[in-house]
Amino acid sequence: MPSEYHLIIDGQTADESWVYVDDEAALSDAPSIVSLARLKAEADSLRARNGKLGVVLAADGEGKTSLGEDVHELAPYLDMLSLVSLRFPIYRNGRGYSAARILREQLGFTGELRASGEVLYDQLAMMARCGINGFEIAADISLETFQTALGELTGAYQPAADKQRGALWARHAK
Amino acid sequence: MYRYDEFDHQLVADRVAQFRGQVERRVAGEITEDAFKPLRLMNGVYLQLHAYMLRVAIPYGTLSSKQMHKLADIARKYDRGYGHFTTRQNIQYNWPALDRIPDLLEELAEVEMHAIQTSGNCIRNVTSDQYAAAIAGEVEDPRIISEIIRQWSTFHPEFTYLPRKFKIAVTGHDNDRAAIKLHDIGLVVKKNDAGDIGYEVHVGGGQGRTPFIAKKMADFVPKESLLAYLEAVMRVYNMLGRRDNSYKARIKILVHETGEAEMRRLIEEEFAKVDASKMLAVPQEEIERISAYFAAPAFETLPAESAGFEAAKAEDADFARWVRANLVAHKQDGYGIVNISLKPIGGVPGDATDVQMDAVAELAAQYSFDEVRVTHEQNLVLPHVKLDDVKAVYDVLATQGLATANLGLISDAIACPGLDYCNLANARSIPLAQEISERFADLDRQYDIGELKVKISGCINACGHHHVGHIGILGVDKKGTEFYQISLGGAADENASIGQITGRAFTEETIVDAIETVVTTYTDERQDGERFIDTFNRIGMQPFKERLYAE
Repeated sequence: MPSEYHLIIDGQTADESWVYVDDEAALSDAPSIVSLARLKAEADSLRARNGKLGVVLAADGEGKTSLGEDVHELAPYLDMLSLVSLRFPIYRNGRGYSAARILREQLGFTGELRASGEVLYDQLAMMARCGINGFEIAADISLETFQTALGELTGAYQPAADKQRGALWARHAK
Repeated sequence: MYRYDEFDHQLVADRVAQFRGQVERRVAGEITEDAFKPLRLMNGVYLQLHAYMLRVAIPYGTLSSKQMHKLADIARKYDRGYGHFTTRQNIQYNWPALDRIPDLLEELAEVEMHAIQTSGNCIRNVTSDQYAAAIAGEVEDPRIISEIIRQWSTFHPEFTYLPRKFKIAVTGHDNDRAAIKLHDIGLVVKKNDAGDIGYEVHVGGGQGRTPFIAKKMADFVPKESLLAYLEAVMRVYNMLGRRDNSYKARIKILVHETGEAEMRRLIEEEFAKVDASKMLAVPQEEIERISAYFAAPAFETLPAESAGFEAAKAEDADFARWVRANLVAHKQDGYGIVNISLKPIGGVPGDATDVQMDAVAELAAQYSFDEVRVTHEQNLVLPHVKLDDVKAVYDVLATQGLATANLGLISDAIACPGLDYCNLANARSIPLAQEISERFADLDRQYDIGELKVKISGCINACGHHHVGHIGILGVDKKGTEFYQISLGGAADENASIGQITGRAFTEETIVDAIETVVTTYTDERQDGERFIDTFNRIGMQPFKERLYAE
């Protein structure tokens, strides 16, 4: 994640209430984002813990053959999770768009779905259409700029995880 | 032809405005070249050897005369008076200035055209059969589903940053003229026993440095489920496709490394989930709305033979020769499909000047129900010309240098731009295509040789489709010298195959002689009625090798 970011959640500037917690560090009751490995290893104790829990899905590092963590692995734990942070290692790695739609449309996740990592202006609208509602973005992208990005295209051709149906359907909406 | 409604117009206009903003931010230094690159690519703007290049989409290769006139205008106004038709039925301009491209795109939008997704790691322009709705034996006009796919794939939020580019081609006919088995997804329109339309789906074809013929993943996906099936394929690819090495990032590598059966299982598992909601089932009214745009033109009821046409052939041997090679039978009596070769002897394959484009546009308006098609073999087609009018069309084409009678013959080669334009190329392609066509310039000899598809790529990326040429030629670079490798036996049609390399490469000085040796080996060995590819398939590589590498 960029060291200097601000948060936009559901279209509003928001204060950060979450902390990313290292695997070795102890967890407090504060809202905490843990790794998938920790979530799987400590699921029972995490379930018993007081305080909100989030998970970050790691993407591949540049140049490694591994693809990054698989969103389907979250299925057994979704009831415990208030937040999923999808890591975009570089803006042109678009695997997170599919992960977002799978979480929203197939796994039924309704908590905060956050884009972290390299989250740039020109990708914001697509992220939003895929069901991402929280954005860790550079401080110089203001809320106004963010809203401009989301409004550059006034319609859509296809349905996704947002409310737009797409022209192929909307032309004949009853 | 499909016409934009308000919605299409709005989205394309939004896109032009968006790109204008991106160009302004780039020029002002607010975004880096690295971050700008995928944005310009997704609007068709490449940085080539000498200049920016703009690739304009011609969805499924269909143009109106108005659109063709606009392409001519753009060649005049923003380029150096010509354009280049590509193997994906697009047109490229080689010399536009970056800061004028937003204006150019605005002009294109006036005629319902754009450069959206003609590059970048997204779903590219959908290609199809240039004889759609003109050839007999078609199951359904493939452009109907192509238009639906165009819309569904445009600005798809999930599939704009794929591991690599993604190409879809559609044919509605058993004779495949769209090379569908060399695409990431190839679709064949089918009708089942109940009379319903559906699609045979092939996945994982492609050329480049590791060529593969696509694997048939589904025999019949019902019409209402096709977009769900496509979305499932795309999602499996986006989740599992490699991103660590751009040469291994195409879906063909995923299919190969995963295995056909496992890939099919993954796709079907995802398809079941996507299809369950029926969210992607296009409403019947919308399918009807789009189909109506592709309704057959108002053909006249004519006799199968035209006396005037027959008389013209008898009087004019050049016309008769051109008809023999370039006119294809139409499904409607009294009509023909006119192929316009963009491969004049010694010319640049696929190039057309502004004046030529205007002339073709006028012919389309006057004689072909206002339609022009672009072929993946880099030629143009007037799909619906009355036999009575063919001579008049020919006469105009002849005055424009567009009446070369070589369709499907050895001088009708596909060639990539090569080292003359491209910063990836190892060798020049265009001059070699020109030399070959000059060597075999005699049309009667070409006709005697018969169907022979020569395809030339200037590097292993295979933009000139050399893997699937009956004779394929690949430019390679050895210590700064251009060499050419020959492969034989490739095919891009319904019997698609990857050619085999003959052996060591030839120099610039010897390559044309080597091609001549291949051709004479064929003419010596052929049996009655055999095309080059038939003879090769019967006798194999050995006789060609012996003659090519004889001491």
